[in-house]
Amino acid sequence: MTVFTALLSHYRRHPWQGAALAILMLLATALWTGIHHLTSQARDSLGQSERLVEVREQVQRVDGAELTVEDFVLLRRQGLCVMPWLEVLPEGESRRVIGVDPLAALCFQGQGDVATFDGQPLVGQPFLDIADAAALMAAEQQLFLILAAGEGPLPSAYRTAPFALSPDTGQLGDSFLLNLDALSVLVLLITGLLLRSVYLLSLSQRRDSFALLTRFGVSGRRVRGHLLLELLCLAAITLIPGIWIGQALASVLEGGFANVMEGLFDSRQLATGGNHWLVPALVMTLLLLAVAIVDWLMPMAACAMPGSRLRPAAAALLVLAGLAGVWLADALWLLFVALALVLAGIGWLMPRGLSLLSGAGVRASAQPGWRWWWAEFGVLCRRLALPLVALQFSLAMVLAVQALVITFEDTFDRWLGQRLSADVYMQVPDGADSALAANWLTEHLPTADEGLWHHVQRGSGRFRYTQAWQDVDVFAVTPVGPLMTGWGLLEQTSQPWQKLASGAGIMVNEQLAYRLDLSVGDQLELVLAEQVQSLPVLAIYPDYGRPAGEVLIAGQSLPADYDLTFESFSLSPASVSLQTITGALRTLWGEPALTIRDNRAIQDLANRVFEQTFMLTRAMTVLTLALAAVALLLMGWVFLSTRLWYFRLLEVWGMTKAEIFRKLLLLALAVTLSAAALALPLGVGLTWVLVHRINPLAFGWSLPMAVYPVFWLELLALALLIGGCIALLMRRQLGRPAVRPSVTGSVTGEER
Amino acid sequence: MRLRWLTMMLVCGLLAGCSEPGTDAGFAGLGGAAGPEDGFEQPGPGTELVFPRDFGPHPAHRIEWWYLTANLETDAGEPLGLQWTQFRQAIKPRDLETEAPDPSGWPLQAAWMAHAAVSYREQHWFGERLARGDLGQAGATVEPFQVWLDHWQLTTGDSPDDWQVQVRHGQPDTDDYWAFDLELTVRGAPVAHGVSGFSAKSASGEGSMYFSLVDIEVTGQVRLGRETLPVRGKAWFDREWSSQFLKAGQQGWDWFALHLDSGDKLMAFQLREQQGQFRSGTWIPVGGDPMALAPGQLQLDPDISAGPVPTRWRLTVPDHGVDLMLSAPPGNYTNDGLYPYWESPVTVTGSHTGVGYMELTGYSGQ
Repeated sequence: MTVFTALLSHYRRHPWQGAALAILMLLATALWTGIHHLTSQARDSLGQSERLVEVREQVQRVDGAELTVEDFVLLRRQGLCVMPWLEVLPEGESRRVIGVDPLAALCFQGQGDVATFDGQPLVGQPFLDIADAAALMAAEQQLFLILAAGEGPLPSAYRTAPFALSPDTGQLGDSFLLNLDALSVLVLLITGLLLRSVYLLSLSQRRDSFALLTRFGVSGRRVRGHLLLELLCLAAITLIPGIWIGQALASVLEGGFANVMEGLFDSRQLATGGNHWLVPALVMTLLLLAVAIVDWLMPMAACAMPGSRLRPAAAALLVLAGLAGVWLADALWLLFVALALVLAGIGWLMPRGLSLLSGAGVRASAQPGWRWWWAEFGVLCRRLALPLVALQFSLAMVLAVQALVITFEDTFDRWLGQRLSADVYMQVPDGADSALAANWLTEHLPTADEGLWHHVQRGSGRFRYTQAWQDVDVFAVTPVGPLMTGWGLLEQTSQPWQKLASGAGIMVNEQLAYRLDLSVGDQLELVLAEQVQSLPVLAIYPDYGRPAGEVLIAGQSLPADYDLTFESFSLSPASVSLQTITGALRTLWGEPALTIRDNRAIQDLANRVFEQTFMLTRAMTVLTLALAAVALLLMGWVFLSTRLWYFRLLEVWGMTKAEIFRKLLLLALAVTLSAAALALPLGVGLTWVLVHRINPLAFGWSLPMAVYPVFWLELLALALLIGGCIALLMRRQLGRPAVRPSVTGSVTGEER
Repeated sequence: MRLRWLTMMLVCGLLAGCSEPGTDAGFAGLGGAAGPEDGFEQPGPGTELVFPRDFGPHPAHRIEWWYLTANLETDAGEPLGLQWTQFRQAIKPRDLETEAPDPSGWPLQAAWMAHAAVSYREQHWFGERLARGDLGQAGATVEPFQVWLDHWQLTTGDSPDDWQVQVRHGQPDTDDYWAFDLELTVRGAPVAHGVSGFSAKSASGEGSMYFSLVDIEVTGQVRLGRETLPVRGKAWFDREWSSQFLKAGQQGWDWFALHLDSGDKLMAFQLREQQGQFRSGTWIPVGGDPMALAPGQLQLDPDISAGPVPTRWRLTVPDHGVDLMLSAPPGNYTNDGLYPYWESPVTVTGSHTGVGYMELTGYSGQ
């Protein structure tokens, strides 16, 4: 028998431990691979879009019609260097592909190379030959014509516009991905704790084997080497299925994820190539090795920090430093580092705190049975410290994410309700004179009794702020009435709506205000159709729908020659019916068909899209919680099994099996409940960090802080369920014979 | 995958040129085998020329080109050479009668390429454009006869013998801009090369359909940078199509089209094989019928001391008393596109004097 097979024989005797390690590794690898795959793909997509369309212009038709191949041919035959760019979202897919014509791209870089477009390769995902892209069954398809720099002038039927795959959202999309990364690092930390706990257990149980091997002349160094080899084998066995499951998980979540990126950041997701499995494989292997190697580093750590009294002080210092960092950090990564410090400190303090509690319990209990119980509680908390910390972290994470999701849903729903307060929304057809409709509505719907309405005109503008020019979307509203004045505002001057209606100022959306640090009262030089107007900011309104900067003004402030991109009417008919209104407008505009949308249907659709927004974070937290719960269950069971001999002593003392089970049940419930109870303040703290610190940095908007005690109760019930399951497993064990532990080790159950 | 394939084809195929000597596909991939399995038609000695149809495209064939070279003079009497070529490379064969695919699907049954160059005062300006066929961006029609790719075009005026050729390259009003706008008057009937237009390209029978218009008067303007030059002179126009142009293993060709001051015209070429060459040509005497020159009837000898690309040649056709020295003017006349090759005007001395054009492909120095 070799040293290696001797070591491995442990798992023959304890197959569940081997299985537990393998399952933990597999699930953690799957989770990590899934998230890493999605975030890497999104990053590739963002990066590629930015590189490809940097400072580029596109051609649009002046009449607003969609571009076709005929437009491309017409422009090329005029000698203009344009290149087709056909974006296709294939049916049933969540990521777009881009059809390009490398032959047409030749004029972008001169002669010699057809495979690139301004130095960027056009081969490989997301690029296809444009004929193949056009042949796809498309859920969405749009042709862009990109214009080479310095080309012109265009024929009069065309104009240029900046070409960007996503608006300049001030790195918001990237921050969102960083957010997910941080969450996955937390998952990694929790997994590390769980792996470490199972591994320590196996080490302690193999102490006899190690002693035997030492007597046979096998050096400690060689044993450690073989233990590492054992872990590498475990990694090799679990990584492949883990990565496979992770990729499957990513493909399930992909649709929702792409919707998030598109919905929140207007970032159209491109099908990028690349298998993102190498990093998860390396990270998981390193994690597993770290779990083992930390033992070798421990003596050094002990030297560096002598005396157990200093450790709680150091942990408390970590927490304080972390909290200060959380408060002060102005970059997302710094915030995450600070948060990690807080978590590390709390993880260190938690077992110590529970141990102190147990000591106090022992001292306070007069009855020997309870003294025993408190002492046993202390032993359990010390020995199950790692899985308990993991459970605490995952419970806190679930709690925080859940609070964020519910708050977001409530806030978003309320916000959408305000935005879509009109019953219907009607698009002004191309070429129709909206003034005719406005005059008719003014005449026939003069008060709310007849019905409410307003006219929205959209276009673009720019303003100068601290020397730099900022492009913004402009929304001009006429009249500013009850359909709008119910909007919640984050910050406002007195009588903001009246002032807006009189043209005495503008309102800006939260994203723009956050990005440029705008406040109410700031004076902005707004340029519309080359006319400069200096206007104060009257209010900042929340905007969860779009990341682009937005300015709201009164319709009367628009210059006469302002170039509108879109016009609509919002209508809430009362005594004058919708049929009467639409009939009149059809006649006025000479349009037999009008595009009318029911705002309730839009709201439902928007809610569905945003429902998917947090599917990913929910999935992550729930899976992590499941991981922690299963690990604790396994650990609790294995550990309590080693205490069986002592529990039997209770029988010797005269307690019945039912009484012993009650003690055990209480013990298991107390331990898991303590972890859950300690998770509550941590979870609330994390919620605050998410809402007030991470969200503004990652999304550009903040949410009101809210707590949900019902959900706390649900989590406490879950903790009790885990404790109950451990106790039930123990009940089975109690019926089996138990031997007195033969070694006195601090990691085994041998502690009095 | 098709994008990768298309790019590869362009980079390594006919248009981009695998100019490694001795590959099985031959020079620039032109030796790709044609057979019934790929559906392309291959002309042979029995194939007849049909006019005006053969001025238009031949979608059932793999490769074809429209090729114009002109030896011009400026008002100051300075020589100026000029070239315009448009190629069509089919990816999928199609009968003439079959309707073209719908442009909205951005079909890729053929790729088109256009080259244009101006050679003047030892300088060479070259441009290249690419397009996919069947969109309208590039193509050719018989009636009216026109060939175009983007805004580069050959069009016909009121009379079918009056042509215009227009090329613009770069941004106007810049030093790099160049353009030409030419009026062409075609005189004489098309000259069929080889056997009734089938021009053999190897001893084993590979070849192409090939005819030329050898007597074309040219007037017009050439713009180089910010300078506009009125020009006049003579041009030579070739039409050629095939599905297997070269024999596998042929490395490149040397081609000459000469306007002799005697009024006679001479076309001669050789295809360089791994061992030896295959030569052919056509002697077109003034007022007489064109005579095909068999491989043994002409001799082409490069002056290899001139550099990696031989820019001086001796051309002899003993049966017609022709012993010529052909010399490119000083300068580098490489068309430096996806597939580089040499294209320059030449002056003719020796038994006859005159001017002409020379195209040399498949040299490692290009």
